[in-house]
Amino acid sequence: MDRTLFLMGNEAIAHGAVRAAAGFACGYPGTPSTEILETAARLEGIHAEWCVNEKVALETAVGTSRAGLRTIVTMKHVGLNVAADPLLTLTETGVTAGLVIVVADDPGMNSSQNEQDSRSYAKFAKIPMLEPSDSQEAYDFMAAAFALSEEFDTPVLLRSSTKLSHGRGQVIPGVPVEPEAREYVKDITKHLMVPQWARLRNRFVIERLQRLRARAEESPLNVLEAGTADFGIITSGVVYQYAREAFPKAWFLKLGLSYPLPYQKVAQLYQHVARVAVVEELDPFLEEQVRMLGLPVIGKEAIPADGELDQDVVFRALEPYLSRRPPRRRRPLFPPVPRLADAPPAAALPVRPPVLCAGCKHRSVFTALKRHKLAAMGDIGCYMLGADPPLNALDSSLCMGASIGIMAGFNQALGRKAAVAVIGDSTFFHSGITALISAHYNGAEGVVIILDNRTTAMTGHQGHPGSGLRPDLSEGPAVDIQQLCEGIGVRCVTVDAADYPALEAALKAAIDAPGLSVFVAQAPCALMVREDLGQVAVDDERCNLCGLCLAIGCPAIAPEADTVSILDGCTGCGLCIAVCRRGALTAAEKAP
Amino acid sequence: MNGVTTVSLMGVGGQGILLAAAVIAETASAAGLRVKTSEVHGMAQRGGSVLSTVRFGAQVFSPVARRADLVIATELLEGHRGLGLLAPEGALVCAVSTRILPGAVLRREEPYPEDLHAAAAARGVRLIAVDAEALARAAGTLRAVNVALLGAASAVLPFSAESWQRGLTAAVPAKILAVNERAFALGRGAVAGEDA
Repeated sequence: MDRTLFLMGNEAIAHGAVRAAAGFACGYPGTPSTEILETAARLEGIHAEWCVNEKVALETAVGTSRAGLRTIVTMKHVGLNVAADPLLTLTETGVTAGLVIVVADDPGMNSSQNEQDSRSYAKFAKIPMLEPSDSQEAYDFMAAAFALSEEFDTPVLLRSSTKLSHGRGQVIPGVPVEPEAREYVKDITKHLMVPQWARLRNRFVIERLQRLRARAEESPLNVLEAGTADFGIITSGVVYQYAREAFPKAWFLKLGLSYPLPYQKVAQLYQHVARVAVVEELDPFLEEQVRMLGLPVIGKEAIPADGELDQDVVFRALEPYLSRRPPRRRRPLFPPVPRLADAPPAAALPVRPPVLCAGCKHRSVFTALKRHKLAAMGDIGCYMLGADPPLNALDSSLCMGASIGIMAGFNQALGRKAAVAVIGDSTFFHSGITALISAHYNGAEGVVIILDNRTTAMTGHQGHPGSGLRPDLSEGPAVDIQQLCEGIGVRCVTVDAADYPALEAALKAAIDAPGLSVFVAQAPCALMVREDLGQVAVDDERCNLCGLCLAIGCPAIAPEADTVSILDGCTGCGLCIAVCRRGALTAAEKAP
Repeated sequence: MNGVTTVSLMGVGGQGILLAAAVIAETASAAGLRVKTSEVHGMAQRGGSVLSTVRFGAQVFSPVARRADLVIATELLEGHRGLGLLAPEGALVCAVSTRILPGAVLRREEPYPEDLHAAAAARGVRLIAVDAEALARAAGTLRAVNVALLGAASAVLPFSAESWQRGLTAAVPAKILAVNERAFALGRGAVAGEDA
């Protein structure tokens, strides 16, 4: 343990969990959290599982904690919404062995559909929130989180964010922790939450929060750093690093244990400086609590309430306020109107957005779907790229698994099959199955198109129950989607996404048939199974630049003056050949 | 800022930007400096622009920065984009023979920017133009464009040959280390010749 490691924040969290004697890790992949579990799966001493969704992951963790194993559960911010139901009662039952929920927020929405601030869940569930600010702290805080969890009989939230999760820094490993063994003892007053016992446990939760606040006052995770300026900053997480670089002379109250807020420590900072700012990404979470104490503070009127911060944004936001005189308290301190981040400058150069990959067989589904005048309710995954021009093949995307429910409601309201759902296989397992059962039960019409590429492609190819592949690369049983749907009682057809004429005909048949059905288009992810059938060839004489092949949105076809050209990325998948009506495109001759 | 050096690496998903950033970070670490990096994951894999930042110095707080002292770009358009990050005293190492056309250019909606020399001169940026594809091919694989550029960048970064070697060994998988060492040496040689 003498070697300095150079770790991604997510890797540091996994290493820190193992050092803290965690024996079990589970979660559902989601950027920017995914690498925590992938790292845990490679480490000795801890067992890692991908669960179908975050709710199941947290419930599994409750089981392992009860049985005496220290456990981490990992997810992205929106995953915590899925796990919110067990969480809000788990706070009552508490834990046996330590249970730490690692949630990775995505300020700036680098790869997310919303920008929610997970710290509100700590307040909502009345549980402690830890916020490491770099890789070393991500590693160190895991031991502190497990200790808090067991000492206070509470699940602990540890929040990361994109720049911590995917940033790297040096980590000096610590001495392995050896916690005392904990065993399951049957106790229905603690573990069986009927009103009779839940009322008692709820009082425990409220009292526990007061004890946690007292701990936050003395915890070494919360540091008052002396400065030389007459100016103090309250901050937490990776944002501390931005503020520290922007204002090297300021006083800092750096909150590693950011909820519950240590009121006395806040008051202490105000004894040293005339002006205080709260620097935090997204919501005025700390700021509102400081204002509740009746203290004047610079907050969201200066610091943008959306997007990612950095040292330049923080400096430019606060600098104008520091030259003004501090206000004297005479009137009520109304909360400010939040400032929004500056709009990014208009791009002077061509932007390079992500695209549906060349050779992605599931492009055929979008191409066929466009021939029908139907709304297409999409879901979460890389197939969202089918919404971009020139495909323009999707109408909506809300949250994991929502496509099927939206389709069912839309069709029920209009009394006809006006919409289809488009969902990936991993998302279907995550939370599509229950919606399918509900649509079937309620007699909704529609076609549920499952793009089955046998992996969770968006987050970097994690296994799921449809592939049977586990995070340690061992193989479990694979759930057959066709059999599953037929078991529910829904008609299901499975087609080869690579066979365009057959797929187009089968999709038309599914759309024309009355009632509800499932349409599974199968083909492996083009990034996992790299096919090279040779590049498609263009007959310039036959091509009249009608644009049919360009409309499939393949990044390996480009228009020329009076023909098209095939680019390096072409895998020879042949969809462009199938849509060409003039025979201008042909498959490459295969070498014998 | 405060004695911290910022290197930004820009390219297209799949070009090995993250690996190149890891080599610089491990090299700086081997040289006894504090290092932080930041990178973008997720959708970026699918042909999007990729930006990775490495910051090193005696003490480093923030893992990100809007201004870079050095930009390494594995593609010409990304090199143009990288100019926007550079301070006037900065340097740009760019694979000028590598062009990957984005959709808007393929669809002929927007022009592909050409003259990087003029654009760099207009900003007062020192351009180190490298035919990294030729160097990578000479080393044995076109995939080593990223590391060939690192070789060129080593001319302007304050690390010893020994630190670079330790960085390469730590960051590059063993089975492709030899070919990348060749690409690095060719990149380093190309710039050394130019400067002389």
